[in-house]
Amino acid sequence: MRWWVAVAWIEELIREAERSVDEVEVFYVEGESVAAELKQKKVSLATTTRDCGLGIRTIHEGRIGSSSTNDPAGWQDCLKAAIASGRLATPQEWGGLPGPADLPMTPLAWDPNIVVEPETARGLLATMLEGVAAYDAEVTAGSAGLSATRITLANSHGMRYTDRHTGVSVSLEAIHGLSTGYEFDSSWALDRIDPAHVGDRAGFFASESAKGTDIPTGAYDLLLSPLAWAELLGNVFVPALNGRSVHAGRSKFAGMLNQSVACEGLSLYDDPHRPGASGSTRWDAEGVPTRRIDYIRNGVLEAFAYDLKTAYRYGKESTANAARGGYGGLPGIGHHNLVADGKRSTVDDERVLFIHNLIGAHTANPLSGEFSVELSNAFFMEGGEFQEPVRSAMLSGNVFDLHFAIAGLGKDTRTVGSLILPSVKIKSQRIIGK
Amino acid sequence: MHGITYYDLRQVTGSVTHIDIDNGRVESCGTAFFNKAVLRVLVNSGWGVLQIDNYTPSRGEKFEELLRQAARLARITDEEVRLGDAPRQILPIPPQKEDPRDVDIEEKSRLLGEIEAAVVREGIVNRRANYIEKDELVRFSDSSGTEYEYRMGRSGFNVLAVASRNGNVQMGYEREHSIHGFNLRHQQDCGRKAAETAVSLLDAIIPKGGKMQVVLDPELAGVFAHEAVGHASEGDLIQEGNSVLKGRIGERIGSDTLTIVDDPSLHEFGFDPVDAEGIAVQRTEIVKNGVINAFLHSRETLASVGNGCAGHARGMAGEPPLVRMSNTFIEAGDATKAEIFIECKNGIYLVGSRGGQVDPGRGVFQFNAEYGYLVENGECTTMVRDVSLSGDILSTLHQISLCGNERKMSPGYCGKGGQSVPVSDGAPFILLNDAVVGGSGVD
Repeated sequence: MRWWVAVAWIEELIREAERSVDEVEVFYVEGESVAAELKQKKVSLATTTRDCGLGIRTIHEGRIGSSSTNDPAGWQDCLKAAIASGRLATPQEWGGLPGPADLPMTPLAWDPNIVVEPETARGLLATMLEGVAAYDAEVTAGSAGLSATRITLANSHGMRYTDRHTGVSVSLEAIHGLSTGYEFDSSWALDRIDPAHVGDRAGFFASESAKGTDIPTGAYDLLLSPLAWAELLGNVFVPALNGRSVHAGRSKFAGMLNQSVACEGLSLYDDPHRPGASGSTRWDAEGVPTRRIDYIRNGVLEAFAYDLKTAYRYGKESTANAARGGYGGLPGIGHHNLVADGKRSTVDDERVLFIHNLIGAHTANPLSGEFSVELSNAFFMEGGEFQEPVRSAMLSGNVFDLHFAIAGLGKDTRTVGSLILPSVKIKSQRIIGK
Repeated sequence: MHGITYYDLRQVTGSVTHIDIDNGRVESCGTAFFNKAVLRVLVNSGWGVLQIDNYTPSRGEKFEELLRQAARLARITDEEVRLGDAPRQILPIPPQKEDPRDVDIEEKSRLLGEIEAAVVREGIVNRRANYIEKDELVRFSDSSGTEYEYRMGRSGFNVLAVASRNGNVQMGYEREHSIHGFNLRHQQDCGRKAAETAVSLLDAIIPKGGKMQVVLDPELAGVFAHEAVGHASEGDLIQEGNSVLKGRIGERIGSDTLTIVDDPSLHEFGFDPVDAEGIAVQRTEIVKNGVINAFLHSRETLASVGNGCAGHARGMAGEPPLVRMSNTFIEAGDATKAEIFIECKNGIYLVGSRGGQVDPGRGVFQFNAEYGYLVENGECTTMVRDVSLSGDILSTLHQISLCGNERKMSPGYCGKGGQSVPVSDGAPFILLNDAVVGGSGVD
């Protein structure tokens, strides 16, 4: 409670807003972060950031306004701008912001052991360098960062929520001749990342891919790493679950509820209370209490993601999927811990083309799902072992069709951003050789 | 002073105004404010960097304390950064024909609504238009006494049309962004064009991938220059050993008619009056008459790598600058558009860009067209969609067999190291021999 006194201006802001608008919401974030960067094997830069940001949303007679600033002392101007912006918005059906729920305020993704100090970042870099040392590869660049953030969400219905997050991330790039390797890891907790393994994988991919040769054009069974799969899911499949896109006609999944949208073995759900996951939270960016949402169960589409605005507009219920990219702008629709799961099996016994990463997945057609991308660090795999590396090839297909061609999910699990997923085996996809 | 051998401070304050119209509804519309600064310090060391939100310009003891904090960071680095010297100069900002700040937001919203409404036609199921206007006041000072201040405005819009038929969903997309002032007036044609593209794409085919003759339109050829050559010429990547162009100054990479340039002084969307280290911006010929000629540099990479020009350091507000492209283009050649299609004979013509990506160390790049046409006997025939190209940096420029005689620039944004900066890319029409085209179509 002591801290709350320190942000008495938020109370003042809400009181001031209530004179002009029906409802107001205040999102305030304060944080500090440090990062250290490698240029080859030397630490070349160390940085600290102190940031803060205020986002205000006003609702008056169904008109939603917003503004933001990183000068909280200037909240009066920001509030005026938010109210002015609301006057220009088209009014919509609106059922009110949520009131306070009886939620525990103990953070779910906060590590008290994270000390946001540059020396810690430097130590992480050193551990990565130890991991890469065994390989015949040169380090080109790397980074390590730590952050601690405090978020406050308050509204004119008496909600006063606070949450704390910590973050730690590492990445390393290595090269051997014309072969590159890149790996990264991130989490909310220091002991949940493995910087030595990141170094090891970057070195392995750079040195092993150097022996790659070209392969003929044709159909191949693929094993997509969690990273490669996340690129396709994140750029095409996940946006199609966004309720707003669905109702606006911008999603392939519009009108497909209760239909099969993937192979029977695949389920996709948001699990906001998943122990140990970075996106875990008890409330979404609008303060709606979070719960598990099953979008796809055994290949069947069962739900879309909604925030309050979209839910009110289309007569649905919020799925507590409001998310903010930062303090600016309005909350949009996102997810917390999106888990891809199903029956796990051995997927690298029979000969498959393993693909570690993709170049250009963001250029996929988000509506139709068509894509053609370049492969990064591809290998044939058999009996659980990496075999011949592939120098260069393209993969072309359709992300939606590809999810019907899933032949199995691996026994591994990896977090990539807010996605939590295994490797996936895909039958007969088109590879264009060089 | 704390052993500090160099410092610079770059503060950017300003506002962003946006309007988002979705199927005729003003979804959101308004202005947000920001104030960010970045202080960089060297103590015969690597960089110590403070990123400061909501910075109040300070002098005396308060500023000393910031310098001390940054110096403490610098002392944990291993590298000794040296800074190359380069001319200092600030160019005048080109005047805006109509300052967007003089137009009230109701009018902006109405004009954007007209563009969005122009998308309406049979077959269109969704339309969306966004306006974005950024106004920045940049203040720079460094320990050598260099100081400058300038104000820049950028504004523009995107319009999206979505067409749908029997589960086939396609999109058309148009955009105009400018440093030359307010540009929302009389732009309904952009809405109509987006709609036309989306509806036409419903009947387009997906070509079969493979090696073929490819004609690139100026926009896509510009992205090609950006991905295939631009990134790999960035001095920081060369310095790290993460570019296939490292050590190749003077090597032939394409025919002697080929020249590829990055020019931040050009009055296009990537214009900077001065770079983020206070260095004068200038035209840099990366490839000159087919030979690798110069790298893009910051002061640090100029000193470390050489062979090129400083003045290419750019940073987002509050972020330490990186070596970046600005306005990147292939110089015009002498072929007419008709000659290019006749020479292509049978192949594919690709138009517009959905972006691209490059692995500069490996020398492999990929980029994607918005749409295209099959070329049969020199004529455009069937419309195609969802086509990507990939290539190898070291061999791809040799595949350029003809360059058109008219260059056109297109605005966009480029991401690197978590920072997005405004750029433009451009080229004339170009013909590529034996390019690797990705498409999932089958016979």
